[in-house]
Parts: sequence; structure tokens; C-alpha cells
Amino acid sequence: MDNVLLKSKDITLLEVLDRVLDKGVIISGDIIISLANVDLIYLGLKVLLSSVETMERLRGAAIISPMQEPN
Amino acid sequence: MAIYIYGIINSNEGIDRLVNGLEGSHVYNIPYHDIGAAVSNFHPDTKEFDERINRSHIFVHERVVEKLIERFTVLPARFFTIFYKKEDVLSVMKNLYGDFRRNLDRLHNKVEFGLKVIWPGEKIRKNIIDFHSQRYSLAVPMPDNPSLKNFIRERYVQYKLDREIEELADSFAGVIDDFFRGFAHEKKLEKLKTKNLLLSAYYLVDKESQDDLKKAFERLKKKLHGFMYLLSGPWPPYNFIIQTKKPHSVKNAGKINISSKIFQKRIFSDILD
Repeated sequence: MDNVLLKSKDITLLEVLDRVLDKGVIISGDIIISLANVDLIYLGLKVLLSSVETMERLRGAAIISPMQEPN
Repeated sequence: MAIYIYGIINSNEGIDRLVNGLEGSHVYNIPYHDIGAAVSNFHPDTKEFDERINRSHIFVHERVVEKLIERFTVLPARFFTIFYKKEDVLSVMKNLYGDFRRNLDRLHNKVEFGLKVIWPGEKIRKNIIDFHSQRYSLAVPMPDNPSLKNFIRERYVQYKLDREIEELADSFAGVIDDFFRGFAHEKKLEKLKTKNLLLSAYYLVDKESQDDLKKAFERLKKKLHGFMYLLSGPWPPYNFIIQTKKPHSVKNAGKINISSKIFQKRIFSDILD
């Protein structure tokens, strides 16, 4: 697979944390673990970007921006 | 002893030997009418558990939910939802039964996919400044004070720049969403949560439509170059549960004294370092 990896461990870490910690049905009215101070997106993006860049390097392809013409 | 809840399922039948739960515990069903709560018994010395909770517990929770979804419709519970008495679990299920039933019917045979689209936010910002900042002339009377004049100009350019980026993001998000909207029952789109995260989208699709979604994703990548795409799934429908009734508070349920910072450090230690 090219610049996409379904359920790969690194990338899925963010996706799992994003869902299990912050989404899903609320059954108890009590706060269980507060993650108010955790910037999941920031942390996650760091993981995402590094993972994607690693994959791109492995593929030998440059990461191009939307402002550039694709190869 | 505590009862740890993984999710609500559309079955009141036994689920013995289907999967192991937290710390090897046995997952079973607590039935209520035609639905059930998938749970396992858990022996937390709460203080001790505060100190040993880690990322693997989160992955076990997710693994149990994914195993359940192979056989049932599941409303996954938030991590570390615990009760200390079976009567309390039943009381909550009685209280929230209507919500649970409606969600289980709505989400039957459906799965969630997540799509993240990343663009080089800083580069886009710079390009817009380089090409367009000269257009941003302010056609209103300006104060004589040079520093005040500069301040107003800077704020105005910033405002126009933000608008341009938002419009560009809206435009791209619309194009991207067009590839999926045909077969997604429901969706959630979040734009520019960070400067690089152009789009974070969640799509609810039929289990049978997974291949269609993946094909649409391949078409998207071929059509719209220059972005980084991440598609993940199929997931249980974490993002599509609609709760109309607030759960009532159960005495001593799920209390765990762990601060965000301690938890954050333990869960993200290898990322933060």
C-alpha cells in the first residue's frame, strides 16, 4: 500500500486513543478519566506526520504540496 | 470486585469464551430485555490500578469491542467505565434503554471509517501571502500614528489571510467529501483542527459498502494529488452514537483518581520523548 496504511500500529495508536478515550457511549454519569488537558490532535499529528514521512521515504517518493504539480 | 463495561450489544444471550478482557478477565453478558452489556469482572485496587494503567489496557478495550462487532451491533463504551454492583449496571441500562435501542437499530450492520487529509499549512500560508498580500489594501481612513497604522494593517492582512485559507479548505474539503457522500449514511467533517490537518472526516457506511469506500478512496488519491491521506477502519461506530438522555450518576461508579498529566505521560511517553 502506498501512502496509506490501514490499522498499522503507529497510525492506529492515534485513531484508537481518539476513539476509546474520547468517544463512545457514556454509560456512567461520573467523569472517569479527564483528558481535558491532553492535546490529542497535536500529539497525534506528530505521530501521523512522522509515520507518513517514514512511509514516503521508504517508497522513495517526495512529499509534494498542493501547490506543486504532481510528478 | 468491579464490573468493567466494554459496550452495549444487541443481544441478551451468552458470549462466553468469545474474547478475554482486561488483564485476562472473562468477558460475559449482563442481559436487559433484548440487549446486553458486555462486561468482565475486574479486581482493581483502585489506588494500585491508578499506578499501572497504561496503553495496553486501552488496546485490550478496543480489541474486545472489535471482537464483539464481528457478531453483534455494538455501542462501544468509553474507556474505564466501571461499576461496583450488577444492580447498578442494570439500573443504568433501564434508565438508558431507549437510547441504547435506538442507536443499536440505527447502527446495525454499519461501520465507521476515519479519513485524515494533511496539507502543508505553513507553505500554503506563505504562498498566499507572497501572491496576494498586495491586494489587501484597506480602503478606510487610517490614523496618522504610524505604529497604529501598521497594527491595523497587520490585523487586516491576517484576517484576509485566514479567510482565504478557510475558503481554500472549504473548497478542498467539499471536493474530497464528494467522493464518499454517495454511500455514507452519516458523516462528520472537521476542517483545520490544526494548520496542517486540512480535514478530519468520519463516515458511517454499511458493512457491505466497505469495498466501495476503499475504491472511492483510491479514486480520490489519483484525482487529487499533493495531499497526504490516511484512511483507517473499519471501526465500531464510536463517532455516531447519539445520546439524548444524560446518564445518572451512580455512587462510586468508575471513580479513579488519576490526573491528566500523569495519564498523558504514561500513555504518550514514547511519543513525547
